[in-house]
Amino acid sequence: MDSKLRKVLALLLVAALVAVFAVGCGGEDEPVDDPDTGEAPTTDVRAAMVTDVGGLGDKTFNDGTYEGLLRAERELGVEIRALESNEIADYEPNIDQLANAGFDVIFTVGFLMTDTTIVKGPEYPDVVFGGIDQFFEEPGDNVVGLLFKEHESAYLAGVVAGLATLDGDLDDRINDQNKIAFIGGMDIPPVERFEVGFIAGARSVNPDVEIINLYAGSFDDVAKGKELALSAIAEGADVVFAAAGLTGNGAITACQEQGALFIGVDVDQYFSVEGSGDVMLTSAMKSLETAVFETIKAVVEGTFVGGENRTFGIAEGGVDIAPFHDFEDAVSQEIRDAVEAARQDVINGTVTVPATRDEL
Amino acid sequence: MLADLLTPDLFASAVRMATPLALAAIGGTICERAGVVNIALEGMMLFGAFMGVIGAMYTGSAWFGVVTAVVAGISLALVHAFASITLRTDQVVSGTAINILATGLTGFLMEVIFGHPGTTDPVRRLQPVFSFSGPGDGALATVWRWVDTVFLSYTPIVYAAIFIAIGGHWALYNTRWGLRLRSLGEHPRAADTVGISVVRGRYSAVLVSGALAGLAGANLTLEQVGSFTEGMTNGRGFIALAANIFGRWTPGGSYGASLLFGFADALQIRLQLFRDVIRIPSQFFLMLPYVLTVVVLASVVGRAVAPAAIGKPYEKG
Repeated sequence: MDSKLRKVLALLLVAALVAVFAVGCGGEDEPVDDPDTGEAPTTDVRAAMVTDVGGLGDKTFNDGTYEGLLRAERELGVEIRALESNEIADYEPNIDQLANAGFDVIFTVGFLMTDTTIVKGPEYPDVVFGGIDQFFEEPGDNVVGLLFKEHESAYLAGVVAGLATLDGDLDDRINDQNKIAFIGGMDIPPVERFEVGFIAGARSVNPDVEIINLYAGSFDDVAKGKELALSAIAEGADVVFAAAGLTGNGAITACQEQGALFIGVDVDQYFSVEGSGDVMLTSAMKSLETAVFETIKAVVEGTFVGGENRTFGIAEGGVDIAPFHDFEDAVSQEIRDAVEAARQDVINGTVTVPATRDEL
Repeated sequence: MLADLLTPDLFASAVRMATPLALAAIGGTICERAGVVNIALEGMMLFGAFMGVIGAMYTGSAWFGVVTAVVAGISLALVHAFASITLRTDQVVSGTAINILATGLTGFLMEVIFGHPGTTDPVRRLQPVFSFSGPGDGALATVWRWVDTVFLSYTPIVYAAIFIAIGGHWALYNTRWGLRLRSLGEHPRAADTVGISVVRGRYSAVLVSGALAGLAGANLTLEQVGSFTEGMTNGRGFIALAANIFGRWTPGGSYGASLLFGFADALQIRLQLFRDVIRIPSQFFLMLPYVLTVVVLASVVGRAVAPAAIGKPYEKG
C-alpha cells in the first residue's frame, strides 16, 4: 500500500478516535431544552450533577439524583445538565467542566466523590456543592452534605424480610430454613448502613434468623452479583436484599432463576428494573429526589444555607420502603402491622437503628 | 467446615465464571500465536455482549443473538486486523482504540435504541442443555447431586468453551492449520518463503479471536444475566489476556488458567459465607483471587515464552 494512502487512513482513524473520545470521556451531556417550559416559572439558576461510575441508567442513586434535577427543571424552570463519570479519574474534570460553564449548583453523587468535593468546594466558592452520601468534617459555606439514614429504610426492609422468610403462606418460594441474604456493592459507609439496618430489622422480629452477608467489591459487575445471589440461595436464603447498584440487577436474575424473593434498593426497583415484578417484594428507598430538589429550591429562593451536613431519615421523609406491588395481596396483615410499628418506633425514637457494625 | 466449603455449587460457579474468560483467552491465544497482540478482547466481548442482546431482542431467539454476538466480535476484529496487519499500526494502540470505541459505541447505541443509558430490557436467555431428575434421597442422591451440578447443569456456551479448548489445543499441535499458525507467530518470513500467506493467515487468526470474544460476550448476556449493562465485561478481557499468558499461549492452558481464576473467585464468594466465623473485613476475601494469581504466576508457572514475532508487523519483501 503506498504511503500517502496509509497516511490518510491513519489520519482518519485518529479523527474517529478523537470523536469517540469526545463522546465517551466527556460524559454525555443531557441538554434538555423542553419547549413546554414556556408556562413554567423561569430562573437564571443552572443546576448540574456529576454521576458516579455507575452512570445514568443505574436505576438507583444516580438516576434518583437526576429525578430531582428533572423535578427542579419542571417546577422551577432551572436549566439542568448531567455529566457521567466513566471512572474515578473523571470526577475532577467533570466538576471543573461544569463549574467553568457557570453552573450554580453541582451535585456530586456518591460517597466515593467525597474527597473530590472537599478539594473542589474552596476552588469554586460561588458554586453550591451538594454531596450526595457525603459527610464533611468542616464543610465550607458553599458545601452541603446530603446524607440519608439508609439504615432506617433497611431496618424496615429487614422487618419485612425477617417475617417473610417465616411465612410459608406468603409465597411458595419461601422455605423453612429461616435464612435471608444481604448483598453489598463495595464495603463503604452507606452500604454498611444498609447492611447493619437490615440485620437489625430482621433480628428485631425474628431473633433466630440467619443472615448471609456477601460483598461483590463492585457496583457494576452484573454477572458477579448473580453468582453471589446464586451462592446465597444455594445456602438456603429465600429473601435477598441487594444494596449494590447495577451488581444487584444480577441478583434479581438469580432470584428469578432459582426461586427467591428480592428486595431492591435506593429507588422503587419494581418500576426501574423491567420484568422484576415476580420477585420484587419491596425496595428500601431513599428519596434522593426530595433532597436534591429542596437544595435547588433553596438556592433559587435565596434561602440556601451551606456549611452543614443534612440528614434525611424516616421522620424527615427521606427514606422508606416501597409498596409491595405484585405481593400486595400475599403480604399478611402481621407483616404490615410490624412494619408500621417499626416505622413509628423509629420516628418517635423508641428504637435507634444502628448505623455501623460496631453499634449492631 | 471444609465440607461446608467444598460443595458442588462451588465448582459449578467456578466453571460458569471461567467460561467468558476462557473463550476470550483462547481467542487471545490464537491471535498471538499468529503474531498479533490483541488487547481489544475486552472491547470485542463488550460489543458482542451488547449486539447479542439486540439480536435476541429483534428476533426473539437467543440463538440468533449468539450469532449476532459472534458477528459483532468479528466486525471489531476486522478493524483491528485492518489497522494492525494491512496498515501495520502499533497493535497495542489499535487495540486500545477499539476498547474505547466499544465503550462509546455500546453506550451510544443504547441511547439510540433504548432511549436511556444503563441497562437494556431483559431478553430470553439460553437454558441449560440437560435437565435430568435424579434419585431423591440416600447416598446415591448425594453422588447424583454432585454429578448433576458439576457436570450437567450448564448452558450451551459453557460446554462449547470446553470443546473449543480441547479441539483448539489438539488442532494447534496436530494439524496443518496449527503448524502454519504457529509459524506466523514465530518466524513469519520463513512462512512467507515457503508460500504461506502471512496476511491471510493473520487476518483469519484475528477474526477467529474476535468471534471467540463475541461468544464470550454472548455467554455474559444471553446465558448469565439476560440483559446488557454498560461496561458489564468489567475487565474480563484483560484478565483473559493474563490467562492466555499464564496458560503459555495454548488453548488448553488458557482454559485451565481461566478455570483457576474462576475457582478463586467462586471460592472467595464461598468463603464470605463464613464471615461470622472468621471475622475479617470483606475486602480481604475480595483480594484473594488476585493474591492467588500472583502466587501461582510467581511460583508454579515459571517463565513463559511468548511467540517470537509477537507484536511485530510483517512487511513483505
